[in-house]
Amino acid sequence: MTSCFILALSAVLLPLLVLFGLKFGIIGNLLAPLEDDPRYRQIRPVGSGSFSSDWFDQMAARDDVAFIVPRTRSISATMRLRLPDSETGRIISVELIPSAAGDPVLGDLDPPSGFSSVLLSQDAADKLAFAEGAGAEGILSRTYKSQQETVLLPLTVTGVAPAGAFERDGMFVSHELLVAVEDFLDGRAVPPLGWDGSPTQDDSRKFSGFRLYARDPGDVAGLRRGLMARGIDVRTRQADIELVQSLDRNLSIVFWIIAGIAAVGYGISFGSSVWANIERKQRDFSVLRLTGFRTRGIVSFPILQALMTGVLGWAIAAVIYFFVQAGLNTLLAESVGGGEAVCRLLPAHFMIAMLLTLSTASAAAALGGIRLAKLEPSLALREG
Amino acid sequence: MVKSYEAGGTEFRLSVPRLDILKGAKLAFVGESGSGKSTLLELLAMILRPTESKAFNFQPAADGQIHDIAAAWESADADHLSDLRSRHIGYVLQSGGLLPYLTVRDNINLSRRLVHRSTEDVAEHWAERLNIAAQLDKQPAKLSIGQRQRVAIARSLAHDPSVLIADEPTASVDPLHAERIMELMIGLVDELGVTLIVASHAHRLMGRAGLQMIDHAIDAVSGNSMHVTVSDASS
Ligand SMILES: Nc1ncnc2c1ncn2[C@@H]1O[C@H](COP(=O)(O)OP(=O)(O)OP(=O)(O)O)[C@@H](O)[C@H]1O
Ligand SMILES: [Mg+2]
Repeated sequence: MTSCFILALSAVLLPLLVLFGLKFGIIGNLLAPLEDDPRYRQIRPVGSGSFSSDWFDQMAARDDVAFIVPRTRSISATMRLRLPDSETGRIISVELIPSAAGDPVLGDLDPPSGFSSVLLSQDAADKLAFAEGAGAEGILSRTYKSQQETVLLPLTVTGVAPAGAFERDGMFVSHELLVAVEDFLDGRAVPPLGWDGSPTQDDSRKFSGFRLYARDPGDVAGLRRGLMARGIDVRTRQADIELVQSLDRNLSIVFWIIAGIAAVGYGISFGSSVWANIERKQRDFSVLRLTGFRTRGIVSFPILQALMTGVLGWAIAAVIYFFVQAGLNTLLAESVGGGEAVCRLLPAHFMIAMLLTLSTASAAAALGGIRLAKLEPSLALREG
Repeated sequence: MVKSYEAGGTEFRLSVPRLDILKGAKLAFVGESGSGKSTLLELLAMILRPTESKAFNFQPAADGQIHDIAAAWESADADHLSDLRSRHIGYVLQSGGLLPYLTVRDNINLSRRLVHRSTEDVAEHWAERLNIAAQLDKQPAKLSIGQRQRVAIARSLAHDPSVLIADEPTASVDPLHAERIMELMIGLVDELGVTLIVASHAHRLMGRAGLQMIDHAIDAVSGNSMHVTVSDASS
């Protein structure tokens, strides 16, 4: 009898697990790029503006901003670069990308720092045939007091940025180095590097752009609105984000409706069979009471039994679920591609399923038990 | 003590102005069907709450203490009543009352287990006495009705109660068999010094068995109400 009960329970629970596994897997696959790819969180200025250090401080303090660094005019953010030890002796021109700790595109790599530590973009590294540990040399030229001047800057390349981080020839540099390069090209002095020129500007320096990343794809729209409202024209991938988000929302609604109906049905079917089981044993319970068993002891028995049934039914459903999941994932792997699991659940989901099962079971059993306890034992004894 | 029922427009009222049952007594409540015999036994067995109760005391031979049952009902102390039942009372139902998924042996041992007493050879002993030794490992469904009644008697005596209450224990078996079961039961009760309280409408059988009979006196019957009084005639 109890084994039928357990099987019936797993039969209802299993499709629910598979359904939820699919929802979780599919939505997870849709959302993964949004979460993982920093480009979805990037907000790029269009044209050049004028931003003070104060403005950067304010922006950096916002909760929805994950990362922000100033950019200088693009004309003064380039440098020629060569690897002195390389056989080719090739010189390329690289764009300077300001970076700092927490740069989303650099992942776990150490950020550039000081005047010499830099990282190369993948393209730049390939063109220079960069090998781990090789030194580099930056070449900067300007016309100062109608004279052509060239300085060499020894650099240490600490790493190569991941492929998607920057798609042209680029070099990730610290804020100081970026500012130093601008100063030099504009004819100002950079004392730490021994570069001559007119006296350096004070704190009133303005930057023409920024690299900005929102904390979360969901924050992009708000940030964009705020910037646009202050006359700062920006580009984002908001449209892509919204497409995925609305897809997620709609799919979730459908899934939750189905899952909600199934879960309620599951609760009712399991609860009522627990209840019916107690109802059927009423006379036996009354006999036990007549023999002198205490009410509490008798009532705890069906609750215990319901919990046992719940745990076993859940365990069977979970085991079968794993086979179904494996089957579905191999079956659908070709059509979905990317080796992503279409159907998957986290341990927490199994725990939730078990808690749901156990709480329905114990609620139904407790209700049945209370009814049983209130019943005059003599009444049930008279039946049959 | 009074118990009254009202259901479906009918009223039933059982009054017990006075009833003393002494240790070792053997008595039978006799009355027609519906006169409240089962009701009275359930009251005595403390599984039915009296409607009114001025005094209801129980002094089990085993502990000598006087337990105030009326007060226990008043304070809804169900556990106290359960404990008293489990230690001092054996109850034989008119039919059934065995647990279907337990063997005869386990059914007999049930009442002893409840009070944490050893069950070694207990079932065997009682089965021997009641002629059901061969049935010990069967389940109740595979027994004849008479055999089941004997198992029920064995169970109700196995924990050495001081009171044995039996509600028409022989009603569902043939007269010949009924007499044998009564004889067996009375033999055991005499031997153990257990107080015996039986309900029956079989006047003759009770008389032959030597039980003191107490009648359910029907005071008033109308279309939809019935008043019954039970009292020991001696007092
Ligand atoms: N739970 C109840 N609710 C209402 N009326 C009840 C209830 N239980 C019993 N009665 C009524 O109480 C009266 C006495 O019932 P009881 O079972 O005690 O009679 P009895 O003497 O044992 O009869 P029998 O010899 O047929 O077993 C009957 O009229 C019955 O209809
Ligand atoms: Mg009766």
